Amino acid sequence: MASTAAQCQLDSVSGMTLDNILQFPEGHRILSCIQCGVCAGTCPYGDVMEYPPRKIIAMLRAGMVEKVFHSESLLNCVACYACMTKCPRDIRLTDILLPLMKEQALMHLPELPAELQKALQNTLRYGNPMGESSRKRAAWVKNAPVPVPIMNEIRRPVDVLWFVECYTSYYPRGQDTARATARLLHAIGADFAILGNEEKCAGECGRLTWEPGLFETLTDYNMAVFQKYQFNRMVASCPHSYNAFQRRYIPLGFTWPVDPVMAYLAYQIEKLKPLLTRKLNYKVTYHDSCCLGRFNDLYDEPRALLKAIPGVKLVEMVHNRMNSICCGGGGGGMWLDTYFKAKGHERLSERRVKEAVATGADVLAVSCPYEVSRFEDALKVLGFDKKMVVRDVTELLDEALEEQP
Amino acid sequence: MARIGIYVCHCGHNIAGTIDVKGVANYAASLPGVAVARDYKYMCSDPGQDLIKNDIRDHQLDRIIVAACSPSLHEATFRNATAQGGLNAYYFQMVNVREHDAWVHSDKAAATEKAKDLVRAAVYRVKLHKPLERRRVPIRPEVLVVGGGIAGIHASLSLAAAGKQVYLVEREPTIGGHMAQFDKTFPTLDCAACILTPKMTAVRANPNITLWTLSEVVKVEGFVGSYQVTVRHKPRYIIDDLCVGCLECVEACVFKEPRFSDEFNVGLGKRKPVYMPFPQAVPQLVLIDPETCIEFKTGKCKKTCVEACAERNAIDFTQKERLETIEVGSIILSTGFEVFDPHRIPYYGYGVYPNVYTALEVERLVNAAGPTGGEVVLRDGRKPKRVGIVHCVGSRDEHTNRYCSRVCCMYSLKLAHLVKEHTDAEIFNCYIDMRTPGKTFEEFYNRVGEEGVNFVRGKVADVYPDGDGSLVMQVEDTLLGIVRKIPVDMVVLAVGLEAHRDADAVRRMFNITCASEGFFVERHPKLAPVNTFTDGIFLAGCCQGPKDIPDTVAQAGAAAMEAAALIDKGYVELEPMTASVNEEECSGCKTCIPMCPYSAISQKADVKKAFINEVLCKGCGTCVAACPSGSIKQNLFEDEEIFEEIEGVLAYA
Ligand SMILES: Cc1cc2nc3c(=O)[nH]c(=O)nc-3n(C[C@H](O)[C@H](O)[C@H](O)COP(=O)(O)OP(=O)(O)OC[C@H]3O[C@@H](n4cnc5c(N)ncnc54)[C@H](O)[C@@H]3O)c2cc1C
Ligand code: SF4
Ligand code: SF4
Repeated sequence: MASTAAQCQLDSVSGMTLDNILQFPEGHRILSCIQCGVCAGTCPYGDVMEYPPRKIIAMLRAGMVEKVFHSESLLNCVACYACMTKCPRDIRLTDILLPLMKEQALMHLPELPAELQKALQNTLRYGNPMGESSRKRAAWVKNAPVPVPIMNEIRRPVDVLWFVECYTSYYPRGQDTARATARLLHAIGADFAILGNEEKCAGECGRLTWEPGLFETLTDYNMAVFQKYQFNRMVASCPHSYNAFQRRYIPLGFTWPVDPVMAYLAYQIEKLKPLLTRKLNYKVTYHDSCCLGRFNDLYDEPRALLKAIPGVKLVEMVHNRMNSICCGGGGGGMWLDTYFKAKGHERLSERRVKEAVATGADVLAVSCPYEVSRFEDALKVLGFDKKMVVRDVTELLDEALEEQP
Repeated sequence: MARIGIYVCHCGHNIAGTIDVKGVANYAASLPGVAVARDYKYMCSDPGQDLIKNDIRDHQLDRIIVAACSPSLHEATFRNATAQGGLNAYYFQMVNVREHDAWVHSDKAAATEKAKDLVRAAVYRVKLHKPLERRRVPIRPEVLVVGGGIAGIHASLSLAAAGKQVYLVEREPTIGGHMAQFDKTFPTLDCAACILTPKMTAVRANPNITLWTLSEVVKVEGFVGSYQVTVRHKPRYIIDDLCVGCLECVEACVFKEPRFSDEFNVGLGKRKPVYMPFPQAVPQLVLIDPETCIEFKTGKCKKTCVEACAERNAIDFTQKERLETIEVGSIILSTGFEVFDPHRIPYYGYGVYPNVYTALEVERLVNAAGPTGGEVVLRDGRKPKRVGIVHCVGSRDEHTNRYCSRVCCMYSLKLAHLVKEHTDAEIFNCYIDMRTPGKTFEEFYNRVGEEGVNFVRGKVADVYPDGDGSLVMQVEDTLLGIVRKIPVDMVVLAVGLEAHRDADAVRRMFNITCASEGFFVERHPKLAPVNTFTDGIFLAGCCQGPKDIPDTVAQAGAAAMEAAALIDKGYVELEPMTASVNEEECSGCKTCIPMCPYSAISQKADVKKAFINEVLCKGCGTCVAACPSGSIKQNLFEDEEIFEEIEGVLAYA
């Protein structure tokens, strides 16, 4: 649930730059850094980052921050919130300091890594990073197992506006999630609709990879669309877009309550539970997405959903909950795989699936659309794809749903 | 017409640097009723005070005003001077032109005007002052000490040595506190038991000390000089006077082997339902734990313990909880601390990986009387070859406790030394800042460094298994600027010190204050470190804040001295600005009763009117403001006095 405290804070940091950072209470906190290094120690790329958060703060305080801009170090930051969650001084690293630094670092690069460049251009041009036609955004609806109403077709107020997001709309495995979600919403009797082809990327990734111009174009566009319609709440498939709405759209006049699909379903678990009648004999391990878990403390909700499925045995990876390891897709990492590879850095998705396989589970359950493709790919590369499959939590719930007429 | 003397203090440059003190004095001289107005360099000096005394005599003054610093510093000084000059001490009013004026303003002209306003307000109100007398309350000679750790033990022994009667109340079955669990103590590495147990035995032997273990204070009433304290004695199921501590019952218990988690060994060892907490426990009495004893569970035990006790007949299954009320004149709280529960930091794996230990557990492992006989071995019996010590667990962290626990760096060095000595393991101390500020502490750090302990400067970020049974400590070595993954067999968490979970309930019962972290608050951090805001209640040891044994003992001595001084003086003088109820007007609505922070108000049973106990009232004025019928008045703050003061401050030209 959106917390007012977080909202006010975010209101107050818009307009912050590296030059005026000390004038904001959130920025001023960097002066309290004790150089403990827990940020670097916990960072999944801590051993390859030339300037982890600790050193950035030291450089800032020493007046030598320019040097950091000329390093590619920050390209490694996957915006996973690991450092921020453990920082003993509660310094707003992932959502404030690091994006400001990253903006500068990207500006100082002779050229952006091609893959990232392309994704950002696509998002600007087509409203999605894949560069798919915006007219095909709602194409998945045709194969949906239940009717999926679209706002500009039904022309009436709805209770829930479901924000589907890019990967869930276009990417084939994402569409599986979309269809599962549709069936679940239908099953619990939600009065919902989607924006269809009118929807565009919420822009969170652009924000954290720091392309403020792009972000503003998208927010302006999306806000205008939202304001056309009447709905009581928003439910977001992608934790990244959930973050965007809950924290970054509020200063722009976004007033609707918003929940990620995981939380929305978990709050209605009593309605859902009796419908989950098919027994799934899976051993499941759940990967906490950074945005849902560390940034929003939603650790128990997806687990509660999984436990509600008859027959599912839930096992934990070594790194779980607040200590989970990022899939590597955040902060633009989704489009830096080639870059990382060229640098010889281990792919985080591979590190993560090794832990997942070690649990002996046969299903790796996820809750963020980035993760399906990243983990499926990693399983294939490591030769584990016979041992383990990746399923969105909604897909598992859908599978357990009683057959509907 | 009053004859008022006004004195404006320069306080060196403190006041005169910002305020035109001569201007203020000249202005004051012009006010009606003012007979003398002067400015002076330091009013608190002897010549300054003499000015007041002489003027009272030479100018027949009947009211005195000093415009100077905060009343909390020198009100008492000037009241005394007024009294020595022959007036009632409360014919005096102090005006704070330093903290409230000179120190907070930079515009000199405006600050001077403000000073004039404040002085004028005092002139208006002081005329109405009435003579007041301080009350004396006698002090009972007994002292209650709550908590029998090293703080409570030392305070009790000091008081007993001075011939005072002490009740020492400890809730565990033995005294000794945390210190009794340690093997050696930093920085000298003397054996904890060797220096502690003689003091524990001395408590037992001292006729001036009444020791109650398995006991807790449940109610405190009264006030400085005369507190009525109710103590709950929990049943031990052993008759104190008959048990000789021979342990034959323990031997004979139907449980042949110890089976139950042993509290003293923080769960690392086992005990029987009938047991002695540790060999040197004081009192030397066994106890029976009703949670695990078969007789309590089924009523059908063979009671081999009773057989073994034979004619001594010390076992009594019928004992019941008992309340007892005592009267004491003062109280020392020495309830100590709890160690931080590291389950709260999931990424250190405590409770998940068996080879992650707390420092307190390792204290027991290195202890020759501990569960492993002093062998440092892992839960599976292996001797660790590489040991990591994680500093600052639950300290210096916004997510747990913000404060530094003060002793963990030192005890981590101690444990590094001891574990190395016991196992010859490679040791890694991961620290943020090494804090060794006590006498000979830095030398100890030096010694441990020379012994070859590895120091890694960085806060451990993660502890996880590496697959082959050992653990990895992941930490940025901030001095090298690299992330290290240090494989170890054992991880020791240097857990911080926290206030007891029930500290808030305890402080309510004793009517004292807790800071946000839960430690009891001293009256002044520098100048009254063992006093509380409640007269006659003193603090010693870690209940006031984390500290090591040397500081604990020093503080316990100081608290004992404060209590002894009270007793020897025989009485306390109470300030007379207390509130009182006008019974005719009081409607008996009871609004005031819960408002009083000092529980000074009760309702008279017969007339159903509020009654304020003058001895408990601290003159805070809360009830005066709260009373809906305006029937409470407070000395020195009567309505007319306050209204005149307001008139005065507003009467600027
Ligand atoms: C792992 C570790 C190692 C340490 N090593 C050293 C060292 O080597 N050298 C050193 O100088 N310091 C050391 N310290 C610090 C040392 O433990 C403290 O300075 C010392 O124990 C403080 O004594 P205390 O009497 O204030 O508190 P405690 O030892 O906590 O004693 C408090 C007593 O009060 C009792 N009590 C609590 N509440 C109540 C109640 N409501 N009613 C009745 N009784 C109550 C408790 O049962 C306990 O017996 C170490 C601390 C830790 C955690
Ligand atoms: S974790 Fe926080 S306090 Fe520690 S070095 Fe990093 S930014 Fe500084
Ligand atoms: S947000 Fe994650 S990736 Fe970025 S610096 Fe912090 S820990 Fe490293």
